[in-house]
Amino acid sequence: MLEIRKKWKKRRGAWAAAVICLFPAALICAPLLMIPGGALMDGAEINRILAPVLGEGKGFAVWHLIPLYPTIGHFYRLLIESPAFYQLFWNTVGMTAAILFGQLAVGLPSAWAFAAFQFRGRDFLFGLYVVLMLLPFQVMLLPQYIILQKLELYNHPAAVILPAIFSTFPVFIMYRGFTQIDAEIMEAARLDGAGELQIFLQIGLTLGKMGIQSAVVLSFLENWNLVEQPMAFLEEQAKWPLSLYLPQIDIGQAGFAFAVSVVVLIPALFVFALGQDALEEGIACIGVKQ
Amino acid sequence: MRGKWRLRWKSRRLLFLLPGFAGVLLFYILPFLEVVRRSFFKAGNNAFVGVDNYHSVFENGAFAIAVRNTALYLAMGVPCLMGISLFLAMLLRHLAVRRRFVSAMLLPMAVPAAVMVLTLRILVDRQGVLNGILTNVSEKYEVISGFIPIDYMNSEWALVVVLFSFLWKNTGYMVILWLAGLSALPREVEEAAKVDGAGRWQSWHYIIRPGLSGSFYTIGMLSVLQIFKSYREVWMVAGSYPQEQIYFLQHLLQNWYLKLEFDRMAALTVILSLVLLVVCLLLQKRLEQREKRAKRG
Repeated sequence: MLEIRKKWKKRRGAWAAAVICLFPAALICAPLLMIPGGALMDGAEINRILAPVLGEGKGFAVWHLIPLYPTIGHFYRLLIESPAFYQLFWNTVGMTAAILFGQLAVGLPSAWAFAAFQFRGRDFLFGLYVVLMLLPFQVMLLPQYIILQKLELYNHPAAVILPAIFSTFPVFIMYRGFTQIDAEIMEAARLDGAGELQIFLQIGLTLGKMGIQSAVVLSFLENWNLVEQPMAFLEEQAKWPLSLYLPQIDIGQAGFAFAVSVVVLIPALFVFALGQDALEEGIACIGVKQ
Repeated sequence: MRGKWRLRWKSRRLLFLLPGFAGVLLFYILPFLEVVRRSFFKAGNNAFVGVDNYHSVFENGAFAIAVRNTALYLAMGVPCLMGISLFLAMLLRHLAVRRRFVSAMLLPMAVPAAVMVLTLRILVDRQGVLNGILTNVSEKYEVISGFIPIDYMNSEWALVVVLFSFLWKNTGYMVILWLAGLSALPREVEEAAKVDGAGRWQSWHYIIRPGLSGSFYTIGMLSVLQIFKSYREVWMVAGSYPQEQIYFLQHLLQNWYLKLEFDRMAALTVILSLVLLVVCLLLQKRLEQREKRAKRG
């Protein structure tokens, strides 16, 4: 008895902490539970329960977590009867892939240069990258509009892709990952006669893997969701990404909108689940001071 | 031999940075300098007007409102996010199941903005689910006697809604960052202090807080970044001309862009980047000073 009490006393703090943390965790997850139910809900049902929000009824909207009459009608309409959806879906896939590939090709060596070398102006340049990273898109809107007009890229998918490739955020994340590598390892490799390229490819890319992976995951989540950039630089709707398809759906078709949500969410969740460990550890190495 | 090696080494390391920097120069820095130049000229006829564009920004009524709102949002959002996430991280850090919690809290990062906006609209509409629940509760238990449904997005509650959705989306992200900062602290020091009879507050004040000073800087930066990014959701929920409380500087820039008022927009772009630059420099200076002091002490 005494032992149990002692154990309890020791664990009391942990239990209290867990219980306190349960609230925010539940609060954060709760709204997400609406999505699958909504996507499977029959149009009449969802319009009935949302009638007050649609301005067609008194009282308040309610929500059924589990639909009364589940149907896959919305998915049928979306996946079989909406060719526009596929157009935008592949736009998104293409854009995201191009951006990620470009960011890796260009950002990886940049991040390595900041992490591994000391050169004149390094601190200044890195500070500049950080400020560029912090600038909201709307502040860079006019400068980018000007350069895209000059290069005649306006209304071309490259107008969204190219500036994103040279975004400094992934450089910052990957840099943080690289700074975790012990300087002595690189010194030893240099003494053994390894070339800079060899060091980068063999030491940097293996030991800085976490930072790279988390940069990829963060970039994916960001670029899978581009809203402002395509809105500003792409005039033709046929060139738009999927993230601009959903806002166009009227709330009167909420069931259909939820079905689109599910389809947009699935790849994001998939990448999220795949890269979660990398993401967590990668984000973690941003947080640690080098 | 040595000299030759060094030369090669130097040119190699330049090659690493060059492609990326060329792009940054082309797509960010050079056009920005062009905007600085244009901010002193009239947009239509390219006539030099000195600081007239800046005058017209400062005299703009919407500018004053947007500055106030953006400052307020930053002043509320950043400390709230940092405080709440630090509190949660402190609670979670010795917990065995903390990864489960962190994963759950991180989930909103994967949720596309449009999906988040759709659920938000259903929840906070004047006849939405939230008001329905509150009304039910007040009728049943008479806790909030005579609850009047709030039209959240069209009243001064709009900023609160925006703030909550910002916290909803970003708390998990920041909790991870804090956990990382906390895990880097040497555990022995804290345990030794505990043995010596230091209370919770004392160990927080003398050991944990000073040890986190670098994290404060990084997490503060990223919180500001996330505040700016949350404009996307605000705009998708409330459009280009929302309730006055949530009319931010980004709305102003975007609306001027759509109205092709490029001269004023150039001036505002320059002003905002300067402010951000100065804030960054000051923060970094302060951090460096603190580190120096820590080393000396």
